[in-house]
Amino acid sequence: MSYAYLFKYIIIGDTGVGKSCLLLQFTDKRFQPVHDLTIGVEFGARMITIDNKPIKLQIWDTAGQESFRSITRSYYRGAAGALLVYDITRRETFNHLASWLEDARQHANANMTIMLIGNKCDLAHRRAVSTEEGERFAKENGLIFMEASAKTAQNVEEAFIRTAATIYKKIQEGVFDVSNESSGIKVGYGGIPGSSGGASGSSAPGGGCCS
Amino acid sequence: MQEADLHDLSDDPDYAASQQQALGRSLYRSDSAKSTEMDSGGGGGSETVYVKDNVAIHPTQYASERISGRLLLVKRDSSLFMTWIPYKLSVGGTDSTGRSSNAGILEKDRKLYTIKDVPLADVHSIRRHTPTLGWQYIIVVLSSGLAFPPLYFYNGGVREFLATLKQHVFIVRSADDANVFLANDFQDPLQKSLSSLELPRVVSVANGATLHGSVGALSSVENSERRNGDMQIATSSSEYSGRNKHKLHDPARDISIQVLEKFSLVTKFARETTSHLFRENHNNDSSIHERKQLDHKPSSASTDTQKISSAPVAPDPLEFDKLPLIWGKQRQQPLDVKEWVCFLDAEGRITDSKALRKRIFYGGVEHSIRKEVWKFLLGYHPYDSTYAEREYLASVKKSEYEIIKSQWQSISPAQARRFTKFRERKGLIEKDVVRTDRSISFYDGDDNPNVAVLHDILLTYSFYNFDLGYCQGMSDLLSPIFYVMEDESESFWCFVELMERLGPNFNRDQSGMHSQLFALLKLVELLDTPLHNYFSKTECLNYFFCFRWLLIQFKREFEYEEVMRLWEVLWTHYLSEHLHLYICVAILKRYRQKIMGEEMDFDTLLKFINELSGRIRLGDILRDAEALCVCAGENGDACIPPGTPPSLPLETASLYPQQDQDDI
Repeated sequence: MSYAYLFKYIIIGDTGVGKSCLLLQFTDKRFQPVHDLTIGVEFGARMITIDNKPIKLQIWDTAGQESFRSITRSYYRGAAGALLVYDITRRETFNHLASWLEDARQHANANMTIMLIGNKCDLAHRRAVSTEEGERFAKENGLIFMEASAKTAQNVEEAFIRTAATIYKKIQEGVFDVSNESSGIKVGYGGIPGSSGGASGSSAPGGGCCS
Repeated sequence: MQEADLHDLSDDPDYAASQQQALGRSLYRSDSAKSTEMDSGGGGGSETVYVKDNVAIHPTQYASERISGRLLLVKRDSSLFMTWIPYKLSVGGTDSTGRSSNAGILEKDRKLYTIKDVPLADVHSIRRHTPTLGWQYIIVVLSSGLAFPPLYFYNGGVREFLATLKQHVFIVRSADDANVFLANDFQDPLQKSLSSLELPRVVSVANGATLHGSVGALSSVENSERRNGDMQIATSSSEYSGRNKHKLHDPARDISIQVLEKFSLVTKFARETTSHLFRENHNNDSSIHERKQLDHKPSSASTDTQKISSAPVAPDPLEFDKLPLIWGKQRQQPLDVKEWVCFLDAEGRITDSKALRKRIFYGGVEHSIRKEVWKFLLGYHPYDSTYAEREYLASVKKSEYEIIKSQWQSISPAQARRFTKFRERKGLIEKDVVRTDRSISFYDGDDNPNVAVLHDILLTYSFYNFDLGYCQGMSDLLSPIFYVMEDESESFWCFVELMERLGPNFNRDQSGMHSQLFALLKLVELLDTPLHNYFSKTECLNYFFCFRWLLIQFKREFEYEEVMRLWEVLWTHYLSEHLHLYICVAILKRYRQKIMGEEMDFDTLLKFINELSGRIRLGDILRDAEALCVCAGENGDACIPPGTPPSLPLETASLYPQQDQDDI
């Protein structure tokens, strides 16, 4: 299927916070509590529409265990967006956010859009991290923030799309050099943005990489 | 300078060239190698800023087999280079393994491990280990992801080493881990530009690498010709870099010739086998490709890249002469009960274990007797044990298991509250066993007791081997074992045996994985130089795309039944302990045309390899791997550092020395 842009996303966060479930809910619109744990990385993809433009999200779902951090770091390269996920019922997954963020800042494109997600908000009775704390952390670190539930699908769609919209806006503002693949953005068939002004400078790669 | 006791590698152009390739460095570097030789003779524009003697590499787990050498930091043209050169004679010269050609092996190891002129600009990070007990060591990780084996500072001095580094290059302590120092961590754009100014060679590498993708005017054919041209120049200059000018060999060609000779030799003795391995490979490649187009919707990988498979692909060197090459042998039916009992004597001993292992190598075993056979293959039952001895062993081991299990079972909730490590470990295992093979009926459904057994075995193992603990991937390795054994204690001990070999896969510093990825790099370089060069060009030499294959022995790549078949074949160690690495090479070779033709970059390749899961034909791949293993012969062995998993450790010293900084 043709798309105007392809955005690479990476989902990071501690093991068991629901990264793979968020991905599955987003790509297949279903919740599968029984699935195999992620070794290395898994991939998902979905088309969305922003500003009437078809955008393909290619999503990298990573293994969360500490031991695999050195491998996970190699996946950041060229990601335009990241979903940093914690589990609102497990305090330690929130406490580890700073270290994940550090990794992301160090190994990803500086313009990468990061969305902080407090997952499992359907389990409010077991909540161990308040919404305010999540908001505060996001604000302090310049992240977008949402609480979501992969189980009920609450805010899942919104989280992925809002991240994409932010990236799209950055393209419009010329923050990204979309001709550079390390930005995590590829320009697709016939998707050369006409109205974005000269800043994005994307007409050349549009012809170059797709024909 | 104590030049006399250093092994001078300048007379070894083969090695110098292979090192350069292995590190994925620029072809231009051969010039710098040349200047090194001149510098060490006359002292041109280079300055040695740091020298440390008695810095050793442990090729095996055992300090007694260390290779000692000298670590140097040399500054040249305002760039810093790191070199580690082993001494000519190993300390003590002993070989506790009792291996034959002692000197040969040491010589080979020395060549394998020597670190020559690695620019600090290529270094990503340095992890230091300065335990209060035991030797200090560092692990140097390159930006490509490749890591060198730990360098042990026998006389101490890691701190001094890092201090010296700091004076010359920009390194910062990682906020994440106080023992990790990041080099070239360019948060600061000023640093970045400064650094690129200082590193003309690196700039040229980058130019070379991006040339292809970015300059639209040049056709890819021209580009690849240009690169080939560079390669020849580089090779010839490295030839001249040696002092012994009579040794004018192109190492890559030498190896290919040896490989081809070996192949034709094998062919002579195996006329009855008619298939042409690599030609057929090639055909299969295209037929698989066609089938995919028919059966599946076009793979997303190819639509994402939106590239057509038009790039010229260098031919497979093993296919080059169209020699009548042989396949690995035709695979046989699995070993059945009738045949199995023939291997046992009256008291239950296996008299010819080699014949048994060979038989299983070529066909696997029927599921009904796996329970019995696997215990031998894994080393839990000695081949020469009798029925009675095994029965006794089972009862002793059962009570031993119960004792270890009771250690964690007796931890009270109050105690657990004050035992974070235990709680974390238990929590992790609880989360993971319910995410392990739940689609298999043996493990499906709510409150499945078999899942609870997986939990108990893993938690007990983490007490049996507290240093290693639990790491994701272990449940994947345990699941088929318990599925086969159906007995908790027997499964535990079989798992223990398996972890004796694969435990290093889960080392926190990833050393076991790095040594396998390194060996894989070397094997591909040997068996498919064009593919190696392609990976080098596309910065894929870290081989992270094979990570899952290696970590859990292809567990996620095949159907459950096939995984069990594959594992029993691997566990025979019939042709090699490292057949799994040849399997990696075999799979990559099957898809070389696609990988290079579609010009896959790291991301695309990783996705492509991931999506091969469930599509690899086990029988074919095993035959390819066998042929590659035979073909590579000693040259293949030489690619694999001693101690690379699943090699069995020879002593039981502290196996996981790096665990002192473990926090789980």
